[in-house]
Amino acid sequence: MSRTNDTGEWVFLTYSLPRDPSAPRLALWRRLKRLGVAQLADGLVALPADARTREQLEWAADEALAAGGNAGVWLARPTARAQERELAHSMNTARAAEYQAVIEQATASLSASEVDRARALRRLRAENHRIRRRDFFRPAERERARQALAALAATRQATGTDPEVVR
Amino acid sequence: MRWATRAGVHIDRAACAWLIRRHVDPEAEFVFVTDPDDVPADATPFDMRGVDLGHHGSDCSFETILRRHDLADPVLWRIAAIVHEADIEDEHYDAPEAPGFDLILRALSVAHEDDRVLELTHPIFDAVHDYLRRSLLTGTDTTP
Repeated sequence: MSRTNDTGEWVFLTYSLPRDPSAPRLALWRRLKRLGVAQLADGLVALPADARTREQLEWAADEALAAGGNAGVWLARPTARAQERELAHSMNTARAAEYQAVIEQATASLSASEVDRARALRRLRAENHRIRRRDFFRPAERERARQALAALAATRQATGTDPEVVR
Repeated sequence: MRWATRAGVHIDRAACAWLIRRHVDPEAEFVFVTDPDDVPADATPFDMRGVDLGHHGSDCSFETILRRHDLADPVLWRIAAIVHEADIEDEHYDAPEAPGFDLILRALSVAHEDDRVLELTHPIFDAVHDYLRRSLLTGTDTTP
């Protein structure tokens, strides 16, 4: 992300889609959600700009056009740092809640049977990976989720070993 | 024939360039542009916004080229699954190799110019294609 005046560059997608049919609207919304966009207004979403996020929003724009809507991709820079902080904060809040769900499930799985622990670990690692891909500002929960998964993995490695070693 | 794509190639463009040279146009020459308006008049654009050989629906450009050229080879479609997941990561396919390809292509695109990335990745895709084809013929499972 290139920087001047301490604010970063952002990539914006402006779009509108016909009300009907609703399937393309939903598909686009799911896609944007998976990318972790910040919604600034109706039909305006943002991501911190880099080659990858820019490309992702460009393909999303094409999807909107293919569905008979309008779309544009723009590079933008906030004029005040506070504005950018607010945006990053709202994105962090969304990611933190997702990590929190992983932490809670990982903790709850600690007391499950060995088979269920292994299954939970696999599923939660995949979920955590999906969240990290759309995490741009790294809330504290990111590290806590990593630790919760490491703790869950440790119970698995400990199977069949001296419990003293685990402590 | 000349083919044009966006500069800063990653997995989809590198794989498309290989696919074009191996299965569509052995004489293919590649041009890299930053703006779609800069595509030379005599070049066929791919993996760019608003062109035919781009993303369509859930397809990445590699899959689009396979469809447009009626390439039904199951080995190419297995590679398409890897490219799709490395590029889009939407879990449309089960392709556990994808993160590895993603890392290699990202690293190459930081270390080298686009032409060089294509030079380096062509033999990799050739070898992966041969390897997957052999395991398909012998019935050896290459997916975990």
